[in-house]
Amino acid sequence: MTAILDIQDVRKSYGSYAALKGVSLSVNQGEFIALVGPSGCGKTTLLKQIAGFEEPDTGRIAIADADMAGVPAAKRPTSMVFQKLALFPHMTVAENIGFPLKLRRTDTAEIKKRVGQMIELMQLKGEYLTRYPRQLSGGEQQRVALARSMVSAPKLLLLDEPLSALDVKLKKVLQAELKRLHRSVGVTFVHVTHDLEEAMMLADRICVMRDGAILQLGTPADIYYRPAGSFVSGFIGETNLLPITVTERTSAGLFYRAADIVDADGRIAADLIAGNVAKGPALLMLRPELLRVLSPGDVADGEIAAEVTEMFGKGGTVQYRARTPGGQMLVVEIPGTSSLPMRIGDKVRLGFTKKDIYVFGAEA
Amino acid sequence: MADEVPRSWRDPDLLIKALPTVLLQTTCFLAPLVMTFLLTFQRSRNFQLQWSWDLWTWTDVFSKPHYWTILGHTIFMAAACVAICLIIAFPIAYGLATRFKAWENEIKVLITFAFITDATLKIYGWALFLDKNGMANYTLSSIGLPPEMVAFLYTDWATLLGMVYSLSAFAIFTLYLSISNIDRSLILAAYDAGAGKFRAHWEVTLPLCKPGIWAGSVLIFLLSVGAFLEPKVLGGGKSPMSAELIRQTFETRVNWPLGAALTLVLMVVSVFIVLLFSRLIGLKRAGLAA
Repeated sequence: MTAILDIQDVRKSYGSYAALKGVSLSVNQGEFIALVGPSGCGKTTLLKQIAGFEEPDTGRIAIADADMAGVPAAKRPTSMVFQKLALFPHMTVAENIGFPLKLRRTDTAEIKKRVGQMIELMQLKGEYLTRYPRQLSGGEQQRVALARSMVSAPKLLLLDEPLSALDVKLKKVLQAELKRLHRSVGVTFVHVTHDLEEAMMLADRICVMRDGAILQLGTPADIYYRPAGSFVSGFIGETNLLPITVTERTSAGLFYRAADIVDADGRIAADLIAGNVAKGPALLMLRPELLRVLSPGDVADGEIAAEVTEMFGKGGTVQYRARTPGGQMLVVEIPGTSSLPMRIGDKVRLGFTKKDIYVFGAEA
Repeated sequence: MADEVPRSWRDPDLLIKALPTVLLQTTCFLAPLVMTFLLTFQRSRNFQLQWSWDLWTWTDVFSKPHYWTILGHTIFMAAACVAICLIIAFPIAYGLATRFKAWENEIKVLITFAFITDATLKIYGWALFLDKNGMANYTLSSIGLPPEMVAFLYTDWATLLGMVYSLSAFAIFTLYLSISNIDRSLILAAYDAGAGKFRAHWEVTLPLCKPGIWAGSVLIFLLSVGAFLEPKVLGGGKSPMSAELIRQTFETRVNWPLGAALTLVLMVVSVFIVLLFSRLIGLKRAGLAA
């Protein structure tokens, strides 16, 4: 696969504040990549460098093998969907969508045709063409903004948290819409969001950023099940992190000891391990849905004894909180059934298989 | 956008609440206007007002091209003043709203101070500065330029200079407000769509400034139509403008009916021009009306 976007060691500072501390990233043609991180992590700054609104202090950005240094935003084959959408209030929907074409001196008939195609692609109604943005609903404005960004057939579509201001229901609809759009047009999407769940739903690959650097770049499954450290693991959903002591590490896997894990004779095996694990203290990650309640006689690769302290029905699933004898709180999520397997105060055995756990270095 | 108040003008509660305002408007604004209108149907003879109730004054107004020449000149000067003010104010307001953010408040205070200094003082200051033996000529001749280079005191240009000087602050502030209200991402969106600096300005910044341009223009136009100090002091009274003509008619010629008629003509023409332009610019269409 060819890289449509190639970022090499990009750095950017504002005064004494380093917003990007050497970011390298390569995005493939047609890929949907999400830049995720808490506010101030540099994701929007990175997007600005790609769009050409700002020039990086050092480093190289290439789009379709062309170096973008010194190329202004107007000349780049990128198109941005802004957080506040930035629809021109003095232009009608048709004028807004046709604006990039008008600037490229496309003839009127062609503009009309392309705008019509966009309206159809975005599933907007034809009568909206003569309306002004403020006469449309939030979701419709969103579609117009997308249409304006796509009309000039950019190589890269940059999305700067365009869904962050919407209510949950509309957000879900537009997320599905984005996914459909990405499949149908085949343009490369770079989507900035602080919502890792959104990134999980949409992206082929996710790039988790923090403090101006990339923490992890990987598929949604990588990020969820094999996070690079506790920050990434805690960034989405709930998770259980248990302190363990690695006793032995071989090329096949590792063995560890942990206070709360029953029968910890120092020979409990783990399959999935991060690169930074050495002998000594480490963290073991267990997603709540990968723990199960053991009936008498059941055996598992690992076993934790705990007492149920809280219970939350979530409809499709039930979430429990349980305390181990060592005082560690655990989150367990199991499919909801009409009869509950545990009640508050129950002493239970929780089991997991060794392929479901993930071990990483404690300091990461 | 403000919430719409679903109230009828027949709502008795509302009428009572509005009464003070209505009374004030009627006594202080409407009544004088009606009196002015009635005055135009009288005559003046030997500096005495005569209650004749005829169209003599109006016949006079419409038969003497002199008044209309002055009116035309006034409108032209006012239009020129509006144009020059906008041209000067735009870069200042733009700079203030975008480039000189750090100095914004200091600059605004300075402009305000210059603006609220007494107009008479400022205009006489300019007269002294531009005088044949004034500062401007003195400075120029002292660096070796021919004497009396600055000879435009007592011309229309000097009048215009005075008017622009007194009124440009209106344009600066209205434009400044408009420009600083423009969302920065709109400009970025224009660049992103492929617009150069100039094109983004022309297609986005300028249209979005329309309300400010319009508000400033109306203020400056109406105030310059009423300007009398500048044409008198800086223009030397050689080509009087309407306001000065009206003042003379009332004070010097003591012809109140004629003065009243000229006032009404000036008002009607000014309001007509403002309405005409608001139609042409079509603020409503673009939904940019404040």
